[in-house]
Parts: sequence; C-alpha cells; structure tokens
Amino acid sequence: MNKMNPDHLPLEQGRGWRGYLKSTLLVAAVTLAGEFVKRYLEPTNLVMFYLLAVVIAAMRWGRGPAIVASVLGVLAFDFFLIPPYLTFAVAAWQYLFTFIGLLIVGLLISELMIKTREQAEKVRQLELLKATEKLQTALLNSISHDLRTPLSSIIGSISMLLQDAPSLDEETIHELLEDAYDESNRLNRIVGNILDTARMEAGALRISPNFCELRDILGVSLQELKPKLSHRSVDIQIPHDFPEIPMDFSWILKVFINLIDNAVKYSPSGTPIRMGATHQGEKVKIEISNEGAGIPDEDLKLIFDKFYRAGKPEQTGGLGLGLSICKGIIEAHHGEIWAENRPGNKGVTLVILLPLVRQSL
Amino acid sequence: MKENQALRALIVDDEKSIRRFLKAALVSHGYTVFEAPNGVEALENLASCHPDVIILDLGLPDQDGISVTHEIRKRIKTPIIILSVRDQENDKILALDAGADDYLTKPFSVDELLARLRAVMRRLVPQNEETVFKAGKLCVDVAKHTVELDESPLQLTPTEYEILKTLVLNAGKVVTQKQLLKEVWNKTEDMEGASHLLRVTISHLRNKLEPNPDRPTYVVTEPGVGYRLHSED
Repeated sequence: MNKMNPDHLPLEQGRGWRGYLKSTLLVAAVTLAGEFVKRYLEPTNLVMFYLLAVVIAAMRWGRGPAIVASVLGVLAFDFFLIPPYLTFAVAAWQYLFTFIGLLIVGLLISELMIKTREQAEKVRQLELLKATEKLQTALLNSISHDLRTPLSSIIGSISMLLQDAPSLDEETIHELLEDAYDESNRLNRIVGNILDTARMEAGALRISPNFCELRDILGVSLQELKPKLSHRSVDIQIPHDFPEIPMDFSWILKVFINLIDNAVKYSPSGTPIRMGATHQGEKVKIEISNEGAGIPDEDLKLIFDKFYRAGKPEQTGGLGLGLSICKGIIEAHHGEIWAENRPGNKGVTLVILLPLVRQSL
Repeated sequence: MKENQALRALIVDDEKSIRRFLKAALVSHGYTVFEAPNGVEALENLASCHPDVIILDLGLPDQDGISVTHEIRKRIKTPIIILSVRDQENDKILALDAGADDYLTKPFSVDELLARLRAVMRRLVPQNEETVFKAGKLCVDVAKHTVELDESPLQLTPTEYEILKTLVLNAGKVVTQKQLLKEVWNKTEDMEGASHLLRVTISHLRNKLEPNPDRPTYVVTEPGVGYRLHSED
C-alpha cells in the first residue's frame, strides 16, 4: 500500500549541498576526461560532454545543481581545455560563442528536464491520490458491510418478534432471539476493534504495565474463548520458573484472545492449538501455533496491516483489524510480533517477543 | 431469596433503553423496580424506595458513579452493582474500593446480571449459619477449617487457606487485589512485592484445586481487578 508522504518525493532528494557537490564533482570528472581526449578532438566537440553533465545534474539533482554545472562547465572548459590553458584568457574570440551557447543550452536543458520531472511527479501524485480514494472507498464499503450485516439480522429478527410473536412457535422465537443476541455480540466486537484502532491512530493507547503471570492471562483468554474451543485440544508449555512479565493485563489479554481466536479460525476443526513460552535473557518469547493452512511467504508481513484479511470477508466476518491492533499493543510494550509458517507447511506460528525489564511505556 | 417478599431494586442509568431492559429482566424475576436517570435523583430516592440492591452506572450525566458510591455508602450498606463500559478498569476498581459490591461490563447479558445479583444477595440473607460452601467438586467448611476436593481432604498452607476463605465468603463476587492483600496479609499499601506474593499464592492454590491449573474454573482472574470464586456451574 502506498502512502502519501511528501517527504519522500524524488524531487526532494537533491535538496541541500549534496546535489551541488555531486554536480561539481561531475564537471570535474568531465574536465579530467577532456584532458585526456583533447588531443584527439576539436575543443568544440568536448562541449557535448559538458552538456551531458548538465542533463545528468538536472535529471538527478534539480535546478540549482544544473545551473552550477552549466556555469562551472563553461569556466572549466575555458580554463582547462581552451588554449591558452590554465587561464581564462581566450585566444580565439569565436570560443565566446561556444561559451554563451554552452551556458544557454545548459540552462535550457536543465529547465526542460525539471519541467518534465515536475510533470511526471504531478501525474504520480494524482495516481496516488486516486489509489488512496479507491482504498478509502473500499474501506468504507467493507466497514459498512461489516457493520450492516449483523445489524440487518438483529433488526430483522427483532422486527419479526415485535410483529408476529403470537403466531410463532417457541422454537422459532428462541432461534430469532439467539440470532439477534449472537449478532449483537459480533457487532460489539467489531465496534470494539474500530475503537481500539482509532485510539491507536490518535496515539491514545495508554499502557500501564504491571507484573503479570503469562499463565494467568492465557487462562482468562481460554475462558473467554471457551465456546470456540470445544472441539480443540489446547496444549500449553510454560516452564515452571517462567518469570512474571511487565504488561498491561487488559491490553495483552486482547492480544492473546485475538491470536488464539485466529489460530482457531484458520485451522480445521479438531486440530490442536499449541502455546509455548521460553525465557532468553532479558526477553521472553511466546508462541501460538495451529495446524491450519500456511500463509504465502509474501503475505507474512501483510497480515499485520490494517484491513488485511485472509480469504473473503464473508468467510471470516471480521474487519481485518485484529492483528494490526495486536501489533500496536505489542509495540507499545516495546515488543515484537511476527508470523512464521511451520516447517512442512504444517500451520502457522505467531511469535511474540517481550522485554522483561519494565520500560517507561 | 424469599419468594413471598418482593426484593426492591434501584436502577441508576441515564440510558432509557438500558433501564427498560433491566427493569423487564428484574420484574420478570420478581423484583420491584425503581429508576433514577442521574446521581442526584438516585440519592434523593434512596430513602423513599428502600432498595435491597442498587444497580449503578459509572457514567452518569451529573456526577461520576464513584462519588455516588461514596455518597450511598455514607448512608446505607445496600449492595451496589456497578455498570461500566470496557476500558474503565481503573474507575471500576475505585468504585469497588469505595464500597461497591460487584460490577458488570456493558454490554452484558441478563444471565450475567442475574448471576451477579444472586451472588450479592446470597451474602445478604443469613444462610442459617451455613458454613459449608460447595462448588463442583470443591467443598470448603469455614467453621471446621477444612477443604475437600472430590471428597478427599486437601492440604493448604495457612495463606492459601486464608485466600480461599476470603473468596469463599464472597463466593461468586469479585474480590479486588487490595481487599485480598488487606484480608490475608493485612497490608493496605499496594506494594509490588505484596501483589507478587498474592499472584504466586493464587498460582499455588490453583495447582492444588484446579483440574487444569492453566485453565482455572474455580478461582478465576478478573482482568485488572482481582479474583472471583466461581460458585455456579
């Protein structure tokens, strides 16, 4: 995904003294080369090399360096390559035309180059803008789809109950209510994710770390996900001397609920979920793996992007915010999170690295 | 709970729809319900409606629920159940420390509300000197100082027993870290060392009690708040 970021436009690269230095060096190089070939070529032919230097300076470093290259080119040409050498005196007055020509053509070329480049830049920005707009529309569509779907079934079920309750049998009433209830919970989760994301974007993620037991957090996460884990075996391997970790219980809980939920969502029913933790010096490493389909290598990083989701939205029914929130929370704890395919395409492992020393968060 | 004598509940919430669904749920379970949309009215009505339980929203338009809790506690001991939204952990703890009995995080289901009410009311009605607590395979006799799991006696250290006892006496109700530190170690300051000790003891207790200590079913953690002894199946 491209981001609009005016600080990184190529035009800006030549700003500052570097562009000037480079174009000076380029002129020096051309002059040096001229020294070697001036015996074989007419001096006026050497002008071409200087023009080439001006074009290169204009193309790569912008207007200022190109003008410097023109002027320096004229001076160096006169000083080194036109007899009498090593003086600005000129033997034949016709060289004056060459100088003026070189200067004007140099300036013109640099001007043209810059115009072309600015034009190209404008086109690129326009395209970027279009892409951003497209992306925003897509996001809006996807958000409104995700919010409307549960709302539709809630409104549908409840309106049905309001109007036709007397004519419905008890089982149907129960089903309608159950749907409305489940969908409300889903909506609540989606809204929660949007709020968390907004909070992170606004830089309002407040972390208050206290020493916590990993076992405890995992226990609460598993309790929360109990209905989804009914057909799964959960294997937890935490060494008995595993240290307490400074974390914000509520936020880190969110991470584990999300990761375990994902591990379940993206692996076939009946396959086990494994969790393990190891302690290495000042850091702890926590891993959660499933036995689902792997993630294409090129997507391993993308899954932490906002609104990324594997497969079609209809299948997973989320906004694709979960992992980006996890990443935000872990990074706010000065930790790292990444995904790995297990060897032999036997599922995916999510790895979390957290520091053991409480830092000012 | 006595069937013949209707319990009285005071609902304090500014959202009309929340009051409506709470009222429907409570009325259908035999409560007489009073409502107040803000803190001032809640405190004004306190004397006239004589509630047996107060359900109090933390985010009221006129004043925050924590100060309302303080005000109520100055006058009466009626159980208070706090309603909060997610991310109000700190306010929740403040309200609990101010004397609220338990909390519910919005949105919640009627089941959860009723379970909290049962837990809070159970402590209110004297249980005929009942000293034995049972939940699943766990049996604690507070009078005899005995703990049995699956009908065989369980050896607990004095500290572990004190923690379990505190949780048992508040069965089904949340007990904050601060409360436990005070009850068991008589510590009022929230020192890092003390809460570490608490976590370690809870962990040992779980290793002895829980069928699977990694997924506790009796002593459950209330994120950011404390612990709760699960009293119902």
